[in-house]
Amino acid sequence: MRLRSKFAIKCAKGTSALIKKLNRGSGVTLPGYVARLIDPDILKELSSQVRKKIIVTMGTNGKTTTNAILYQALAAENQKVIINRTGANMLNGIISAFVLSTDRHGLLDADYACIEVDEIASVKVLPQLKPDCALLTNISRDQLDRFGEVDITYNKLLDAVTSVPDTVLIINCDDILSYSLAEKSQNPFVTYGISEQIFDDISRSEIRESIFCRNCGKKLCYDFFHYGQLGIYHCPNCGWERPVPDYTAENIQFHEEVYSFDMDGLSIDSTARTPYNIYNTLSAYTALKTLGAGCRNFKSMIEAFDYGNNRESIFTIKGARVQLHLAKNPIGFQQKVSLVLKDEKPKDIIIQINDTYQDGEDISWLWDVDFQYLADSHAQSIITAGTRRHDMGLRLKYEDIPCTSTTDLRTTVLERAGHGTKNLYVIVNYSGLYRTNHLLTELEKEPEGGNHA
Amino acid sequence: MKLTIGHLYPDLLNLYGDRGNIQCFRKRLEWRGMEAEVIPFLSGDSIDFSKLDIVLLGGGSDREQEIVCNYLKDIQTDFQSFVEKDGVVLAVCGGYQLLGKYYKTDKKTIEGLSILDITTEWQPERLIRNIVLNSPLFDTPVVGFENHGGRTYIGNHTPFGKVFYGLGNTGKSGYEGVVYKNVIATYLHGPLLPKNPHVCDYLLERALKRKYGPDVTLPSLPDELEHKANQYIVDRYSDKKYILKETIKRHT
Repeated sequence: MRLRSKFAIKCAKGTSALIKKLNRGSGVTLPGYVARLIDPDILKELSSQVRKKIIVTMGTNGKTTTNAILYQALAAENQKVIINRTGANMLNGIISAFVLSTDRHGLLDADYACIEVDEIASVKVLPQLKPDCALLTNISRDQLDRFGEVDITYNKLLDAVTSVPDTVLIINCDDILSYSLAEKSQNPFVTYGISEQIFDDISRSEIRESIFCRNCGKKLCYDFFHYGQLGIYHCPNCGWERPVPDYTAENIQFHEEVYSFDMDGLSIDSTARTPYNIYNTLSAYTALKTLGAGCRNFKSMIEAFDYGNNRESIFTIKGARVQLHLAKNPIGFQQKVSLVLKDEKPKDIIIQINDTYQDGEDISWLWDVDFQYLADSHAQSIITAGTRRHDMGLRLKYEDIPCTSTTDLRTTVLERAGHGTKNLYVIVNYSGLYRTNHLLTELEKEPEGGNHA
Repeated sequence: MKLTIGHLYPDLLNLYGDRGNIQCFRKRLEWRGMEAEVIPFLSGDSIDFSKLDIVLLGGGSDREQEIVCNYLKDIQTDFQSFVEKDGVVLAVCGGYQLLGKYYKTDKKTIEGLSILDITTEWQPERLIRNIVLNSPLFDTPVVGFENHGGRTYIGNHTPFGKVFYGLGNTGKSGYEGVVYKNVIATYLHGPLLPKNPHVCDYLLERALKRKYGPDVTLPSLPDELEHKANQYIVDRYSDKKYILKETIKRHT
């Protein structure tokens, strides 16, 4: 290895140690910046040390879950895998993941790398990583203040994948945007899709990306919609249509709060509580099969997999069941509304909306969510929080749903847990997740907060 | 009393929560015991403007706007006479651009409705941020979020407001939007109306007066929450320290 790369790695590791010592955050992006400053080719150098394959995961929703499934599946086959941490999906974060995985000689010991890549960062990241396979979950509106328009996201992703023409794309063919991107790109691609109708009316917001043919511009016909612009489509004018997917999930059943399904001869009793996690599982499996990675233990791995919408985010505070959910864009939030409505018990709901750069400074998207359903959610109280609590409040007001607001989340959670329905939902967008998770964990531990009172 | 609101091409122009504007029109009529009928016109539908009191033209991506442009040719004359006869129009972002003569993008020129004597030219750097306006029409500032690649040159038209914080029509002119007769055309998303109930009521009153005569008045509504949401943005961007912090963040 070049001396320059070695030096870059040393400095990056020093930076990381320093950040941890000073307790200045998790230190997942700055080390990457330092390494890149010293050696601009550091990512090329390190990614070439990965023995078998590199998989990148991109798309609007489901990146983190899908990437975690890939990681666990490969680990279950006794492979050594590099993964980047949640949120560290820009160039510097990705470099950090590689650099901090090296041994003291600056060498990697990895069979696979599973890397989640931000859509904007993809243009820079992909040419350096030269992944064997790029998995695209879906493309929909998200953080439009960063991306501008969904077409801009689309074009960035298209530029990114055409810069690595040998990379095999793993494509959700139910999504017209993903599928047309694959066709335009000239890259080889493998598709996955679901032909059964598994999403309920509530999770299908009426707001969707334009459903016009990407070839001839005429309006597409749909047999049905999954959600957003995803569904079974064809163009009555030019004949462009959703293809028969290479991989699919079938016999999808929802029983006792979880889904079971068949996929490529496997019968899977999953822990997934939401239909979009079937997509995430299917896409990861498609990528693994495409790469020829082992899948012997996939079934047992996935049946024990924690999708993060189950145990992890459920707390017991003052004897109340408190669930924490992340909802950071319209499609994600719509799925949460659907989840809340599936629970027929009385409940209290806290919704926290922030508008930091990470969240998206534009909170217009709240109006793309069909909140009117919350009127039938048996909510005893709805309380808004966060920097944009009044915007959230207005959104509910204009559906005639009463709510109040708070600037003190801790007190409100304790009050609702103690004097509410004992069934509390806390829904937050991105920047509130870490802190709220921390807060709820603390409250659960407190003697007067937890079970032991 | 009843108003009929035409929502133009929601299948193509539905960006950034703009349907919140429709909801705002509807609710603020209903809360006053008036009726609201909203008619969505999909691309290709024929539109009878004589039945409409308010027209909403939202924003779409550049690609979608190009598709819309073909449908606009069919309604140009009727739409123009609606405007000249004091019909109320709210045009947001792409809708604002389409009221003008043309929108020149990097690839082609999209022909507009030519109802306003304005032109728009695309530049690669998008103008994206919160925005606060002072409009001579109102005592309360107008707040929203702008996100546009186009720079709109409004010629001799009256702007909607003066930019207090944000970028506005061209990023340089210091003004935002256009007011012409009963048309408000603006780049402001947010959506515009819920946080600016004064703008909503202004348009509703204009439409009611046009339909039912000059004596119509709008009873006031309890708007505490609307004012809090509006005031929050105004206060934030009246704070020089905050603006400095945000500017530094934007450039790092």
